[in-house]
Amino acid sequence: MSETMNALQKKAEAMLTADHCLSCTSCMSSCPVMEASKEYRGPKLVGPAHNRMRFSQEDVEESLDFCSNCKSCDRACPSGVEVSTLNMLHRAEYYRTHPHSQRDDMLAHGERMAKRVRMLPFGATFANLGMKIGKCFGIFGSMGIAGERDMPAYASSSFLSMFKGISQKPSEKKVVFYPGCFINENDPEVGVAFVKVMQKNGYEVLVDEKFNCCGSPLVVTGYLDEALEHAHNNVARILEWKKKGIPVVACCTSCSLMLKKEYGELFDEEEMKEAATNVYDAFEFLAMLEEEGKLNTEFKSLSQSLLYHVPCHLKSQGFGTPAARILGKIPGVKVELADAGCCGMSGNYGFKQDKYEISMKIGEELFGRIKTANADKVISDCGTCRLQIQHGGHVEPCHPIEILEKAY
Amino acid sequence: MSVCYKLFVYFKEHKYYGKQKLSGKGEWMMEKATVVVIGGGATGVGILRDLAMRGVDVLLVEKCDLVNGASSRYHGLLHSGGRYAVKDQEAARECIIENQILRKIGKSCVEATGGMFVRLDIDDPDYEPQWVKGCADSGIKAEPITLEQAFRLEPLLSKHVVSAYLVPDAAIDGFRMSWQNVESAKRYGGRFKTYREVVDVLQQNGEIQGVTVRNTITGEIEEIACDILVNAAGGWAGKVAALAGLEVGVQPDKGTLLAFNQRITSHVVNRLHKSSDGDIFVPHGSITILGTSSMSIPDPEDTSTSREEVENLLSIGEKTFENLRDYRMLRAFAGSRPLYMPPGGASGRGASRGFAIVDHGKDDGLKGMMTIVGGKFTTYRLMAEKISNQICEKLNVKEPCRTAEEPLVPEVAENDKKEARKYFPAYGTDLAATRLGPERFSRVVEDLKSHPEKRELVCECENVTLAEVEEIAKELSSFQINDIRRRTRIGMGTCQANFCALRSAAVFAKCGRDKGAKDSLGQMKQFLQGRWKGIRPVLVGRTLREIEMTRALYELSFHVDGGKKA
Repeated sequence: MSETMNALQKKAEAMLTADHCLSCTSCMSSCPVMEASKEYRGPKLVGPAHNRMRFSQEDVEESLDFCSNCKSCDRACPSGVEVSTLNMLHRAEYYRTHPHSQRDDMLAHGERMAKRVRMLPFGATFANLGMKIGKCFGIFGSMGIAGERDMPAYASSSFLSMFKGISQKPSEKKVVFYPGCFINENDPEVGVAFVKVMQKNGYEVLVDEKFNCCGSPLVVTGYLDEALEHAHNNVARILEWKKKGIPVVACCTSCSLMLKKEYGELFDEEEMKEAATNVYDAFEFLAMLEEEGKLNTEFKSLSQSLLYHVPCHLKSQGFGTPAARILGKIPGVKVELADAGCCGMSGNYGFKQDKYEISMKIGEELFGRIKTANADKVISDCGTCRLQIQHGGHVEPCHPIEILEKAY
Repeated sequence: MSVCYKLFVYFKEHKYYGKQKLSGKGEWMMEKATVVVIGGGATGVGILRDLAMRGVDVLLVEKCDLVNGASSRYHGLLHSGGRYAVKDQEAARECIIENQILRKIGKSCVEATGGMFVRLDIDDPDYEPQWVKGCADSGIKAEPITLEQAFRLEPLLSKHVVSAYLVPDAAIDGFRMSWQNVESAKRYGGRFKTYREVVDVLQQNGEIQGVTVRNTITGEIEEIACDILVNAAGGWAGKVAALAGLEVGVQPDKGTLLAFNQRITSHVVNRLHKSSDGDIFVPHGSITILGTSSMSIPDPEDTSTSREEVENLLSIGEKTFENLRDYRMLRAFAGSRPLYMPPGGASGRGASRGFAIVDHGKDDGLKGMMTIVGGKFTTYRLMAEKISNQICEKLNVKEPCRTAEEPLVPEVAENDKKEARKYFPAYGTDLAATRLGPERFSRVVEDLKSHPEKRELVCECENVTLAEVEEIAKELSSFQINDIRRRTRIGMGTCQANFCALRSAAVFAKCGRDKGAKDSLGQMKQFLQGRWKGIRPVLVGRTLREIEMTRALYELSFHVDGGKKA
């Protein structure tokens, strides 16, 4: 065992929680990957059980690669074992001695790629064209990226540049919006809707260009050192805002989970836990306003039936499903929970060619629900869940905040 | 009537079930060995190996499975001698020499973890220079390290550590060590019989004739003839001596230990102070063992542990590792050091950890009987060598002792392990190789290769495959699931047999050679009771939750008690 691992073993919070495992197997029975594929030996074995045996020899648990970090195991665990985080730590340990593939490098570094694209005039247009051509010629396929999928297209302008054009009513009450890579580069409309919703509730929205990618795509592909750099930067920024009494709010549930929870589980630094108290998911924040009777509920009638797919990473934050409740208050809106488990996408997992089939198999239940529910709109807080819904459910989903925005 | 009945049974068993054979002349001929060794602990198996290697016809009898007494109910610590450097330098010197020998001959049972001595701010500072000098005088390398180094090597250490040294302590697996001694002895013609309790010592005209043993599973009685009888019964040595009408002073001294679910340390960690309770942590395979206590008890069979003893160990242990109580305890267990009590000697920690060889021919006029008692696990080989030298002198055997040079068992070749990795679960190959040895390992690998379904784990916590459990279940020496447990580690991990009790009972019923193996329910219950015995004193926190799940599984879902009211 390497010295870093030895230190990690003794220190990382997730490692300590491994000791809480009762071997009860709840995680195995709720793991969507295990249900879809016999190749994954399952969270209990790969996580806490093998963790105890690592002292014996240098070895590799091949099936660790199958964990999608959807965190179903963590939620199922009655003893608070952070199984998926354990897996991510072990994956990172693996990549300390093994080279990354070009594909993983690309999937992990979306932020870096986007920055390059944005530096060129019409970069987004050319990049999108390039991705289409690349797909046609099977270049992505040869890299190990699922050729069946479209890579998410770049929006013609990023959220941060669109934000500059939004004129806001100034207010004493402020929040900092953390857009995250997907909203900033691919789906800026979600961010714009968030700003409008907050304005309707008397808040002025700020952005902080010094934030960088939360690190979620880095963590799941084993670039843990880089993720730590991101964590240090972001945590320092969050604490800076905390000092000023301004909360940080995100619309992407994987970003908010990383900022609130996974930093602490992975790296176990005090500042991370302190910063976590200043980060909110958008609907978590709106629910707090609602509780205080401060949520603006002067809604227009919308007459829409919604099917709500609750992202795994929202469930892991443990604040229920306030989006369903709040949207349900809009006259004419009916919200139904899809209750179909994980969608199978899990960030960049479903983009991997060798995981595509598993990803689609996991998504089958949700796709079936979408078909039978026949709702006017499918909603989901997570960007990559929406990509999966689009791909496998053949509908155009949106973020719940976009519905709320329409109701004002 | 009862005496008549017993005699009837005795003769009946002799005639129909005994191991005696009819000789050519029509006389009943009993099994015979030149030397019979009583006791399958570390000392006994050491003597078995030593004598067998010198060409002596030797047979070992043990009333349970091997290492059922003090030789497995201990820390699993291969002492560097640092522990004895101040109080008993002769023992310290013996330890460091034997430590080096065992590291060399026992590569498949010794884990060279290294050891650390740490002095806390509450420990007597004057003891440290005495200890440093003691180590130097005894030939033990004690290398001082900075606190920074100490915390890097052992991040969980208390910040109250004020000085630290590295010593060549190691961890040793008592189960593997004993079986490997037996394997080695078998190669030289040594024999052994487990589950045979000596019920009588046969003597005539002041000379040993043999022993009467009872099969503790079937109740069969048999006689074994011998010229020399070696009493290496550890805590039971006094009882065995009494069977021959002799007196040997053995004081069972109970030590209680705690097993934790994780490796809390990477090194053996000792408190640098005058030897006391609960001051040694040993990383033993996947677990950590903390111990021990010292308490004189009347009966070596008493391996009970109490909540108070556990609490006592924890409150001392948390001085060295402050967050100790955050770690999950698996079980508590206890064993008795067989302390030799020459008339008027000290007891408890004051008693010598040295050993004694008694020649009852000289001392008590019973020719051919010897007793070896006391000593430490670390020096078992030396003890065996000393008494074997005396035995060989009596038998006029000139062969010198070779136990310090020849490895206990051949190692599995690196290439074979590498090749086998694709069939074993991750992190499972090397441990299986050290447990199985080359021959069994290659059979298991073959089985895993041709029957992929046998790669399934019977024990998920300790990573033991179906193929390995089957291999050991088939052995003639496997009479209970516990016998398989001691050789494979099934049931010794996180869930303490919660999941493997059921599975291993099924495997044993299919593969076991003894007819008792077919009683799956009985076997399973016996196995679980053994686990639960050690769990009861640590029924707090997560261990309590674990056992509630076990109860729900076995008593509710499987209804193993058949609905009988308690």
